[in-house]
Amino acid sequence: MKEKELISQLQQLRQIEPSKDWVISTKNQVLGESPKFTLFPYLKPAFAGLVSVFVLFGLFSFAQSSVPGDFLYTFKKITEKGQAIFVSEQEKPQTSLELANKRLEELTKIAEANQVKKLTPAINEFQASLSEAARSLSRMEATSSDPVANKKLVEEVKKLDKNKQLVEEALGVVFGGQEFDELQEVSEKLEVKLVIDDLETRTLNEEQAEILNRMKELVEEGKYSEALGLLGELNQ
Amino acid sequence: MSNKRKEFSKIYDQCINKIYRFIFLKVNSQEISQDLCSETFLKGWEAYKNNPNIENPSAFLYRIARNLVTDHYREKARAQFVSPEMVSVIDPNPGLEEKSALNSDLDQVRAVLADLKEDYQNVIIWHYLDDLPIAKVAKMLNKTEDATRVTLHRALKNLRNEIDKREIKET
Repeated sequence: MKEKELISQLQQLRQIEPSKDWVISTKNQVLGESPKFTLFPYLKPAFAGLVSVFVLFGLFSFAQSSVPGDFLYTFKKITEKGQAIFVSEQEKPQTSLELANKRLEELTKIAEANQVKKLTPAINEFQASLSEAARSLSRMEATSSDPVANKKLVEEVKKLDKNKQLVEEALGVVFGGQEFDELQEVSEKLEVKLVIDDLETRTLNEEQAEILNRMKELVEEGKYSEALGLLGELNQ
Repeated sequence: MSNKRKEFSKIYDQCINKIYRFIFLKVNSQEISQDLCSETFLKGWEAYKNNPNIENPSAFLYRIARNLVTDHYREKARAQFVSPEMVSVIDPNPGLEEKSALNSDLDQVRAVLADLKEDYQNVIIWHYLDDLPIAKVAKMLNKTEDATRVTLHRALKNLRNEIDKREIKET
Protein backbone atom coordinates (compact mmCIF):
# COMPACT_ATOMS: atom_id res chain seq x y z
CA MET A 1 0.00 0.00 0.00
CA LYS A 2 1.34 3.39 -0.98
CA GLU A 3 1.86 6.09 1.65
CA LYS A 4 -0.67 8.47 0.05
CA GLU A 5 -3.31 5.76 -0.03
CA LEU A 6 -2.60 4.89 3.58
CA ILE A 7 -2.86 8.52 4.71
CA SER A 8 -6.15 8.89 2.83
CA GLN A 9 -7.48 5.77 4.59
CA LEU A 10 -6.32 7.11 7.92
CA GLN A 11 -8.13 10.35 7.25
CA GLN A 12 -11.30 8.41 6.56
CA LEU A 13 -11.21 7.26 10.17
CA ARG A 14 -12.46 10.76 10.99
CA GLN A 15 -15.93 9.42 10.36
CA ILE A 16 -15.73 7.77 13.78
CA GLU A 17 -17.91 10.02 15.89
CA PRO A 18 -19.94 9.65 19.03
CA SER A 19 -23.74 9.83 18.73
CA LYS A 20 -25.19 13.33 19.04
CA ASP A 21 -27.55 12.32 21.87
CA TRP A 22 -24.68 10.96 23.87
CA VAL A 23 -22.65 14.14 23.28
CA ILE A 24 -25.49 16.33 24.59
CA SER A 25 -26.36 14.16 27.59
CA THR A 26 -22.69 13.81 28.56
CA LYS A 27 -22.21 17.56 28.34
CA ASN A 28 -25.14 18.11 30.69
CA GLN A 29 -23.81 15.45 33.00
CA VAL A 30 -20.29 16.89 33.03
CA LEU A 31 -21.27 20.52 33.45
CA GLY A 32 -24.10 19.73 35.84
CA GLU A 33 -26.75 21.19 33.59
CA SER A 34 -30.12 19.64 33.17
CA PRO A 35 -31.65 20.02 29.72
CA LYS A 36 -34.21 22.80 29.64
CA PHE A 37 -37.28 22.50 27.53
CA THR A 38 -39.12 25.72 26.97
CA LEU A 39 -41.92 26.47 24.59
CA PHE A 40 -41.02 29.25 22.19
CA PRO A 41 -37.63 30.02 23.77
CA TYR A 42 -37.21 33.00 21.45
CA LEU A 43 -40.24 34.61 23.11
CA LYS A 44 -38.66 34.44 26.58
CA PRO A 45 -37.39 38.05 26.81
CA ALA A 46 -40.68 39.39 25.48
CA PHE A 47 -42.60 37.17 27.87
CA ALA A 48 -40.52 38.35 30.83
CA GLY A 49 -41.18 41.95 29.81
CA LEU A 50 -44.89 41.30 29.50
CA VAL A 51 -45.07 39.63 32.91
CA SER A 52 -43.21 42.57 34.48
CA VAL A 53 -45.66 45.02 32.92
CA PHE A 54 -48.63 42.98 34.22
CA VAL A 55 -47.15 42.69 37.69
CA LEU A 56 -46.41 46.42 37.85
CA PHE A 57 -49.82 47.28 36.47
CA GLY A 58 -51.47 45.01 39.05
CA LEU A 59 -49.35 46.44 41.84
CA PHE A 60 -50.17 50.04 40.97
CA SER A 61 -53.87 49.26 40.50
CA PHE A 62 -54.02 47.42 43.80
CA ALA A 63 -52.17 50.29 45.49
CA GLN A 64 -54.99 52.72 44.64
CA SER A 65 -57.11 51.44 47.52
CA SER A 66 -54.25 51.73 50.03
CA VAL A 67 -54.17 54.33 52.83
CA PRO A 68 -51.22 56.16 54.45
CA GLY A 69 -49.11 53.77 56.51
CA ASP A 70 -49.71 50.87 54.08
CA PHE A 71 -46.78 49.33 52.22
CA LEU A 72 -48.46 49.94 48.86
CA TYR A 73 -49.21 53.59 49.62
CA THR A 74 -45.84 54.61 48.11
CA PHE A 75 -46.98 53.15 44.77
CA LYS A 76 -50.20 55.14 44.98
CA LYS A 77 -48.21 58.34 45.52
CA ILE A 78 -45.93 57.48 42.60
CA THR A 79 -48.99 57.04 40.37
CA GLU A 80 -50.39 60.40 41.47
CA LYS A 81 -47.08 62.16 40.92
CA GLY A 82 -46.82 60.53 37.51
CA GLN A 83 -50.30 61.73 36.60
CA ALA A 84 -49.50 65.24 37.88
CA ILE A 85 -46.75 65.56 35.26
CA PHE A 86 -49.37 65.54 32.53
CA VAL A 87 -51.61 68.13 34.18
CA SER A 88 -51.45 71.67 32.75
CA GLU A 89 -50.72 74.68 35.00
CA GLN A 90 -54.36 75.82 34.73
CA GLU A 91 -55.72 72.46 35.84
CA LYS A 92 -53.27 72.10 38.74
CA PRO A 93 -55.41 73.86 41.41
CA GLN A 94 -58.36 71.62 40.55
CA THR A 95 -56.19 68.47 40.67
CA SER A 96 -54.55 69.46 43.95
CA LEU A 97 -57.96 70.09 45.51
CA GLU A 98 -59.17 66.70 44.30
CA LEU A 99 -56.10 65.15 45.88
CA ALA A 100 -56.78 66.96 49.16
CA ASN A 101 -60.29 65.54 49.10
CA LYS A 102 -58.83 62.09 48.41
CA ARG A 103 -56.53 62.43 51.44
CA LEU A 104 -59.53 63.40 53.51
CA GLU A 105 -61.40 60.31 52.32
CA GLU A 106 -58.40 58.18 53.35
CA LEU A 107 -58.42 59.85 56.72
CA THR A 108 -62.14 59.08 57.09
CA LYS A 109 -61.51 55.43 56.18
CA ILE A 110 -58.78 55.17 58.80
CA ALA A 111 -60.91 56.89 61.44
CA GLU A 112 -63.85 54.58 60.68
CA ALA A 113 -61.64 51.48 60.88
CA ASN A 114 -60.08 52.84 64.09
CA GLN A 115 -56.54 52.27 62.73
CA VAL A 116 -54.82 54.44 65.31
CA LYS A 117 -51.29 53.79 64.01
CA LYS A 118 -52.13 55.07 60.56
CA LEU A 119 -53.83 58.19 61.83
CA THR A 120 -50.68 60.31 62.14
CA PRO A 121 -49.32 59.60 58.64
CA ALA A 122 -52.82 60.16 57.22
CA ILE A 123 -53.19 63.53 58.98
CA ASN A 124 -49.72 64.55 57.76
CA GLU A 125 -50.62 63.55 54.22
CA PHE A 126 -53.83 65.57 54.40
CA GLN A 127 -52.05 68.67 55.77
CA ALA A 128 -49.43 68.40 53.02
CA SER A 129 -52.08 68.10 50.33
CA LEU A 130 -53.93 71.04 51.82
CA SER A 131 -50.80 73.22 51.70
CA GLU A 132 -50.16 72.16 48.12
CA ALA A 133 -53.77 73.01 47.17
CA ALA A 134 -53.53 76.41 48.86
CA ARG A 135 -50.24 77.11 47.06
CA SER A 136 -51.51 76.18 43.62
CA LEU A 137 -54.74 78.08 44.18
CA SER A 138 -52.95 81.28 45.20
CA ARG A 139 -50.71 80.95 42.13
CA MET A 140 -53.63 80.75 39.73
CA GLU A 141 -56.05 83.28 41.25
CA ALA A 142 -54.57 86.27 39.44
CA THR A 143 -54.47 84.65 36.04
CA SER A 144 -57.59 82.53 35.94
CA SER A 145 -60.60 83.97 34.24
CA ASP A 146 -62.42 80.83 33.18
CA PRO A 147 -65.77 80.96 35.05
CA VAL A 148 -66.47 77.22 34.58
CA ALA A 149 -63.11 76.24 36.06
CA ASN A 150 -63.51 78.74 38.88
CA LYS A 151 -66.96 77.36 39.68
CA LYS A 152 -65.55 73.85 39.90
CA LEU A 153 -62.80 75.05 42.23
CA VAL A 154 -65.29 76.71 44.51
CA GLU A 155 -67.39 73.54 44.60
CA GLU A 156 -64.30 71.47 45.39
CA VAL A 157 -63.33 73.75 48.28
CA LYS A 158 -66.90 73.57 49.64
CA LYS A 159 -66.79 69.77 49.44
CA LEU A 160 -63.44 69.80 51.22
CA ASP A 161 -64.81 72.05 53.92
CA LYS A 162 -67.82 69.82 54.44
CA ASN A 163 -65.78 66.61 54.65
CA LYS A 164 -63.22 68.27 56.86
CA GLN A 165 -65.86 69.28 59.33
CA LEU A 166 -67.21 65.71 59.42
CA VAL A 167 -63.76 64.24 60.12
CA GLU A 168 -62.99 66.92 62.66
CA GLU A 169 -66.20 66.08 64.49
CA ALA A 170 -65.44 62.36 64.40
CA LEU A 171 -61.85 62.71 65.59
CA GLY A 172 -62.26 65.76 67.78
CA VAL A 173 -59.32 67.46 66.07
CA VAL A 174 -59.08 70.63 63.97
CA PHE A 175 -57.08 70.41 60.72
CA GLY A 176 -55.72 72.83 58.27
CA GLY A 177 -55.44 76.00 60.29
CA GLN A 178 -53.81 78.74 58.27
CA GLU A 179 -53.62 76.73 55.05
CA PHE A 180 -57.31 76.05 55.04
CA ASP A 181 -58.13 79.69 55.85
CA GLU A 182 -56.03 80.75 52.84
CA LEU A 183 -57.78 78.19 50.71
CA GLN A 184 -61.16 79.43 51.81
CA GLU A 185 -60.22 83.01 51.22
CA VAL A 186 -59.19 82.33 47.65
CA SER A 187 -62.31 80.27 47.14
CA GLU A 188 -64.54 83.05 48.52
CA LYS A 189 -62.79 85.56 46.32
CA LEU A 190 -63.47 83.39 43.27
CA GLU A 191 -67.05 82.82 44.31
CA VAL A 192 -67.84 86.48 44.91
CA LYS A 193 -66.28 87.32 41.56
CA LEU A 194 -68.50 84.73 39.92
CA VAL A 195 -71.55 86.21 41.67
CA ILE A 196 -70.70 89.78 40.70
CA ASP A 197 -70.06 88.78 37.09
CA ASP A 198 -73.38 86.95 37.04
CA LEU A 199 -75.29 89.86 38.60
CA GLU A 200 -73.86 92.30 36.12
CA THR A 201 -75.43 90.39 33.25
CA ARG A 202 -78.90 90.57 34.86
CA THR A 203 -81.49 93.36 35.09
CA LEU A 204 -81.49 94.54 38.69
CA ASN A 205 -83.90 96.85 40.58
CA GLU A 206 -82.50 99.77 42.54
CA GLU A 207 -82.22 97.88 45.78
CA GLN A 208 -80.39 95.00 44.15
CA ALA A 209 -78.07 97.38 42.30
CA GLU A 210 -77.29 98.96 45.68
CA ILE A 211 -76.42 95.58 47.18
CA LEU A 212 -74.20 94.84 44.19
CA ASN A 213 -72.34 98.11 44.69
CA ARG A 214 -71.83 97.30 48.38
CA MET A 215 -70.54 93.89 47.43
CA LYS A 216 -68.02 95.44 45.06
CA GLU A 217 -66.85 97.82 47.78
CA LEU A 218 -66.37 94.94 50.23
CA VAL A 219 -64.40 93.02 47.60
CA GLU A 220 -62.10 96.00 47.10
CA GLU A 221 -61.54 96.04 50.86
CA GLY A 222 -60.73 92.33 50.75
CA LYS A 223 -63.80 91.39 52.81
CA TYR A 224 -64.93 88.50 50.64
CA SER A 225 -66.97 86.55 53.18
CA GLU A 226 -68.88 89.67 54.12
CA ALA A 227 -69.55 90.37 50.44
CA LEU A 228 -70.88 86.81 50.07
CA GLY A 229 -73.04 87.39 53.16
CA LEU A 230 -74.92 90.05 51.18
CA LEU A 231 -76.16 87.34 48.83
CA GLY A 232 -78.86 86.51 51.36
CA GLU A 233 -80.17 90.06 51.24
CA LEU A 234 -80.17 89.95 47.47
CA ASN A 235 -82.45 86.90 47.39
CA GLN A 236 -84.97 88.33 49.85
CA MET B 1 -18.77 30.16 37.71
CA SER B 2 -21.21 30.53 34.84
CA ASN B 3 -18.44 32.16 32.77
CA LYS B 4 -16.12 29.22 33.40
CA ARG B 5 -18.97 26.88 32.53
CA LYS B 6 -19.55 28.72 29.26
CA GLU B 7 -15.86 28.60 28.39
CA PHE B 8 -15.56 24.91 29.21
CA SER B 9 -18.74 24.27 27.27
CA LYS B 10 -16.99 25.70 24.21
CA ILE B 11 -13.91 23.56 24.84
CA TYR B 12 -16.21 20.53 25.16
CA ASP B 13 -17.87 21.28 21.82
CA GLN B 14 -14.51 21.73 20.12
CA CYS B 15 -12.85 18.62 21.55
CA ILE B 16 -15.53 16.00 22.21
CA ASN B 17 -15.35 14.31 18.80
CA LYS B 18 -11.56 14.26 18.71
CA ILE B 19 -11.17 12.92 22.24
CA TYR B 20 -13.85 10.29 21.66
CA ARG B 21 -12.16 9.15 18.44
CA PHE B 22 -8.75 9.18 20.11
CA ILE B 23 -10.02 6.86 22.85
CA PHE B 24 -12.09 4.71 20.49
CA LEU B 25 -9.12 4.01 18.23
CA LYS B 26 -7.26 2.70 21.27
CA VAL B 27 -9.93 0.66 23.04
CA ASN B 28 -12.10 -0.47 20.11
CA SER B 29 -15.32 -0.31 22.12
CA GLN B 30 -18.13 2.19 21.96
CA GLU B 31 -19.17 1.60 25.56
CA ILE B 32 -15.67 1.87 27.00
CA SER B 33 -14.94 4.90 24.78
CA GLN B 34 -18.04 6.66 26.10
CA ASP B 35 -17.14 5.89 29.73
CA LEU B 36 -13.54 7.00 29.39
CA CYS B 37 -14.47 10.04 27.32
CA SER B 38 -17.04 11.32 29.83
CA GLU B 39 -14.55 10.69 32.63
CA THR B 40 -11.94 12.67 30.70
CA PHE B 41 -14.24 15.69 30.46
CA LEU B 42 -15.37 15.35 34.06
CA LYS B 43 -11.77 15.44 35.25
CA GLY B 44 -11.04 18.24 32.80
CA TRP B 45 -13.97 20.32 34.11
CA GLU B 46 -12.95 19.74 37.74
CA ALA B 47 -9.43 20.95 36.93
CA TYR B 48 -10.69 23.85 34.83
CA LYS B 49 -12.97 25.06 37.64
CA ASN B 50 -9.94 25.46 39.91
CA ASN B 51 -7.61 26.80 37.26
CA PRO B 52 -9.17 28.22 34.10
CA ASN B 53 -5.76 29.42 32.87
CA ILE B 54 -4.78 26.04 31.44
CA GLU B 55 -2.47 26.91 28.55
CA ASN B 56 -3.71 24.34 26.06
CA PRO B 57 -7.03 22.81 27.13
CA SER B 58 -7.10 20.43 24.19
CA ALA B 59 -3.62 19.02 25.01
CA PHE B 60 -4.66 18.85 28.65
CA LEU B 61 -7.71 16.75 27.76
CA TYR B 62 -5.63 14.44 25.56
CA ARG B 63 -3.26 13.91 28.49
CA ILE B 64 -6.16 12.95 30.77
CA ALA B 65 -7.55 10.64 28.09
CA ARG B 66 -4.16 8.95 27.61
CA ASN B 67 -3.83 8.37 31.35
CA LEU B 68 -7.33 6.96 31.56
CA VAL B 69 -6.69 4.59 28.64
CA THR B 70 -3.46 3.45 30.30
CA ASP B 71 -5.32 2.91 33.59
CA HIS B 72 -8.02 1.03 31.72
CA TYR B 73 -5.51 -1.41 30.20
CA ARG B 74 -3.76 -1.80 33.53
CA GLU B 75 -7.10 -2.63 35.17
CA LYS B 76 -7.94 -5.01 32.36
CA ALA B 77 -4.61 -6.84 32.68
CA ARG B 78 -5.23 -7.24 36.41
CA ALA B 79 -8.76 -8.49 35.80
CA GLN B 80 -7.58 -11.01 33.23
CA PHE B 81 -5.03 -12.24 35.71
CA VAL B 82 -7.70 -12.74 38.35
CA SER B 83 -10.39 -14.03 36.02
CA PRO B 84 -9.28 -15.44 32.67
CA GLU B 85 -12.83 -15.50 31.27
CA MET B 86 -12.87 -11.70 31.07
CA VAL B 87 -12.19 -11.52 27.39
CA SER B 88 -10.93 -9.07 24.86
CA VAL B 89 -11.70 -5.35 24.95
CA ILE B 90 -13.29 -5.58 21.54
CA ASP B 91 -16.93 -4.72 21.90
CA PRO B 92 -19.18 -7.69 21.08
CA ASN B 93 -21.95 -5.24 20.11
CA PRO B 94 -20.33 -2.58 18.03
CA GLY B 95 -22.18 0.70 17.61
CA LEU B 96 -23.18 2.32 14.37
CA GLU B 97 -19.90 4.17 14.06
CA GLU B 98 -18.01 0.96 14.51
CA LYS B 99 -20.22 -0.93 12.09
CA SER B 100 -19.53 1.54 9.34
CA ALA B 101 -15.84 1.16 9.94
CA LEU B 102 -15.99 -2.62 10.31
CA ASN B 103 -17.87 -2.97 7.07
CA SER B 104 -15.16 -1.23 5.13
CA ASP B 105 -11.48 -1.68 4.35
CA LEU B 106 -10.81 0.79 7.08
CA ASP B 107 -11.30 -2.00 9.57
CA GLN B 108 -7.87 -3.33 8.85
CA VAL B 109 -6.19 0.04 9.17
CA ARG B 110 -8.01 0.64 12.43
CA ALA B 111 -7.13 -2.74 13.84
CA VAL B 112 -3.46 -2.38 12.97
CA LEU B 113 -3.37 1.16 14.33
CA ALA B 114 -4.76 -0.11 17.63
CA ASP B 115 -1.89 -2.60 17.83
CA LEU B 116 0.86 -0.03 17.28
CA LYS B 117 2.81 1.26 20.24
CA GLU B 118 1.29 4.26 21.99
CA ASP B 119 3.59 6.97 20.65
CA TYR B 120 3.04 5.79 17.08
CA GLN B 121 -0.75 5.73 17.56
CA ASN B 122 -0.76 9.22 19.04
CA VAL B 123 1.43 10.82 16.42
CA ILE B 124 -0.68 9.34 13.60
CA ILE B 125 -4.00 10.31 15.17
CA TRP B 126 -2.95 13.86 16.02
CA HIS B 127 -1.24 14.63 12.74
CA TYR B 128 -3.36 12.80 10.17
CA LEU B 129 -6.78 12.66 11.82
CA ASP B 130 -6.81 15.79 13.97
CA ASP B 131 -4.70 17.81 11.50
CA LEU B 132 -2.39 19.11 14.20
CA PRO B 133 0.83 20.60 12.82
CA ILE B 134 4.12 18.91 13.70
CA ALA B 135 5.04 21.69 16.13
CA LYS B 136 1.94 21.04 18.25
CA VAL B 137 2.32 17.27 18.09
CA ALA B 138 5.93 17.70 19.21
CA LYS B 139 4.80 19.72 22.20
CA MET B 140 2.23 17.12 23.17
CA LEU B 141 4.75 14.32 22.85
CA ASN B 142 7.32 16.41 24.68
CA LYS B 143 9.79 15.87 21.82
CA THR B 144 11.63 18.11 19.36
CA GLU B 145 10.01 18.70 15.98
CA ASP B 146 12.72 16.69 14.24
CA ALA B 147 12.28 13.80 16.63
CA THR B 148 8.52 14.02 16.08
CA ARG B 149 8.97 13.88 12.28
CA VAL B 150 11.13 10.79 12.70
CA THR B 151 8.52 9.20 15.00
CA LEU B 152 5.77 10.01 12.50
CA HIS B 153 7.79 8.51 9.65
CA ARG B 154 8.48 5.35 11.65
CA ALA B 155 4.86 5.13 12.79
CA LEU B 156 3.59 5.26 9.23
CA LYS B 157 6.18 2.76 8.08
CA ASN B 158 5.23 0.37 10.88
CA LEU B 159 1.56 0.74 10.10
CA ARG B 160 2.11 0.00 6.40
CA ASN B 161 4.36 -3.00 7.14
CA GLU B 162 1.80 -4.46 9.56
CA ILE B 163 -1.03 -4.01 7.04
CA ASP B 164 1.06 -5.62 4.32
CA LYS B 165 1.91 -8.53 6.61
CA ARG B 166 -1.75 -9.14 7.43
CA GLU B 167 -2.75 -8.94 3.76
CA ILE B 168 -0.12 -11.59 2.89
CA LYS B 169 -1.42 -13.79 5.73
CA GLU B 170 -5.00 -13.47 4.49
CA THR B 171 -4.06 -14.43 0.93
